[in-house]
Amino acid sequence: MFAALERAWSQFWFHRSSTSPLEIARMGIGAALLLHYSLATPYLFDFWGDGGLIPRELALKDVSDPWIQSVFFYFMAPWQWVAFHAVFLLCCAAFMLGWRTSWIKWVVLVGQISYDYGNPILSYGVDKILACLLFILCLAPIGHALSLDRVRVVRAAKLKNLETVLPPYSSQWAGACTRLMQIQMAVLFFFSAISKLRGDDWWSGDAVWIVFTTGEHYNRFILDVLAPNYWLVNVATYSTILIELAFPFLIWQRQTRPYLLAAAIFLHLQFALLMGLFYFSFVMIMGQMSFVRPEWLARLGSAWKQRMGEMEMIYDGKCGFCVRSMASFLAFDGLGQIKIRDFRANPSPVVSDAQMEKALYLTLPDGRALPGFEAYRYVVPRVPGLWWQVPFFYVPVLSRLFGHPIYNWIAANRSRLSSKRTASA
Amino acid sequence: MIRTQWRDRLIYLAMSGFVAWHTLAMVLAPAPDNSVIAQSLRGLMQPYLTLFRLDNLWDFFAPTVGKGSQFRYIIEDADGLRHTFVPAEDLSWFHPSYFWFRSLYYAIVDDPELYADSTAALLCRKHASLHPVAVTLLRYDEGDFSPEDHLSGKHPMDPEFVTVNTLKRVECTDS
Repeated sequence: MFAALERAWSQFWFHRSSTSPLEIARMGIGAALLLHYSLATPYLFDFWGDGGLIPRELALKDVSDPWIQSVFFYFMAPWQWVAFHAVFLLCCAAFMLGWRTSWIKWVVLVGQISYDYGNPILSYGVDKILACLLFILCLAPIGHALSLDRVRVVRAAKLKNLETVLPPYSSQWAGACTRLMQIQMAVLFFFSAISKLRGDDWWSGDAVWIVFTTGEHYNRFILDVLAPNYWLVNVATYSTILIELAFPFLIWQRQTRPYLLAAAIFLHLQFALLMGLFYFSFVMIMGQMSFVRPEWLARLGSAWKQRMGEMEMIYDGKCGFCVRSMASFLAFDGLGQIKIRDFRANPSPVVSDAQMEKALYLTLPDGRALPGFEAYRYVVPRVPGLWWQVPFFYVPVLSRLFGHPIYNWIAANRSRLSSKRTASA
Repeated sequence: MIRTQWRDRLIYLAMSGFVAWHTLAMVLAPAPDNSVIAQSLRGLMQPYLTLFRLDNLWDFFAPTVGKGSQFRYIIEDADGLRHTFVPAEDLSWFHPSYFWFRSLYYAIVDDPELYADSTAALLCRKHASLHPVAVTLLRYDEGDFSPEDHLSGKHPMDPEFVTVNTLKRVECTDS
């Protein structure tokens, strides 16, 4: 009996899992925080400063709990606000990109709670959700996938041997933290639903009408649609409660999860588009990402890989600079879409050695062989980890105008670049 | 070997203890605390809930949506002219300042005793070019607005649907 309970407990909490769903939440929340607080920069002193729109003593008049803490409580000089804000924004960017995630995530959590407690009057729904999700992300072993930390680890392994393929990270603790985030979202939906059930507006089916007629969420277009078709108001009101009530119960089952997840995302897209709650809705959707099964992501990755087709990059294995560049490049190829061939050890049947002496080549299943800059240009939009390079390779005219000569110069001087690095090492 | 087994066992126990604790915290935070058990548990967990900002009710738009209220103000200039301002009209959904200013306006209309003077002083400075003599803070409470009202071309902020309350009239000291 005890052994069965322990097995069930372990299965529920400590199922070995990848961090991918949490990494999606990390990237989304990091991006949302970065944008949100970047836009807050001009208002830093107005809303969080000592003598701003809401003087600190007024904002904190009801705050007597010593557990309510904000770094702003300890600042004395304006430069401290500016420095903290700048550091926080940098940490949000690093958190989004997954750079030094193991400690950056704590700075982001402290920052978010500090802004929130620093002026409680400004706090609304999204700040509460953010703190809950960030805390779980801080506990989780994030940064092991879809991150610059992962790129660093893969690059280091590839520098030793370009053929190395690191297995995807997974752990029991990642499974437990994913479960915690799922429970957080389920609890949130459940209490959101039952608190609505205590109100007459929701029972009568009028709540959605009332929302859109308040000055805050007034939307003439929606009212034009709803007023002559009031039954839509009832449907929308009851559907909201139904989704919120069904979510915590039906999201766990394999068969119903995709539908509940789609319904919850749809609901929050409506909140974003019709009520202007973009930040709130986006953060909620990121929380819901914890329910995305890693196997769905794996299937999506396989489908993408298949659709993009095979790509083989042929490089010069004797050129140290080329090997290092290739290691850095391949570190971003999380789906393993690019195959490699060292033409010195394994000559290509498609590209001659003479051609290879001049540039790196990419060969495709249809027999095409793209040299140098064109090879990179082909690969970049097809490998998701390299999408950040798209702006460099696809600026009309300019990319090719500058890209070709830069690439050709590097290719022509690769021996010199290799020897320089070797000498300095 | 035995030490490793014990270490693994302890780690497992610590992880189990933490997930149980945090799950309890997540459930307890929004739960009503009208039972003795709930109250004593809350007492134990309150520092944890507060420090990490986990103490939330998750009661969005509930139990009732409620009618809105809008903050407006009138600047009286040296010539006795009255200029009415609707600050909410300057806000955009697409910028987060919308929510910060909205929260500020709610704070003013909900607790004018506390915020009226500092807000008025700020508004006097903001409209210095009008040479303000005084600023009157107003609260517009929204009333019922039916589909028929909308179909007949009316707006929820039309005078017939709102009740205007004067929160406070404050003299501008530096004009």
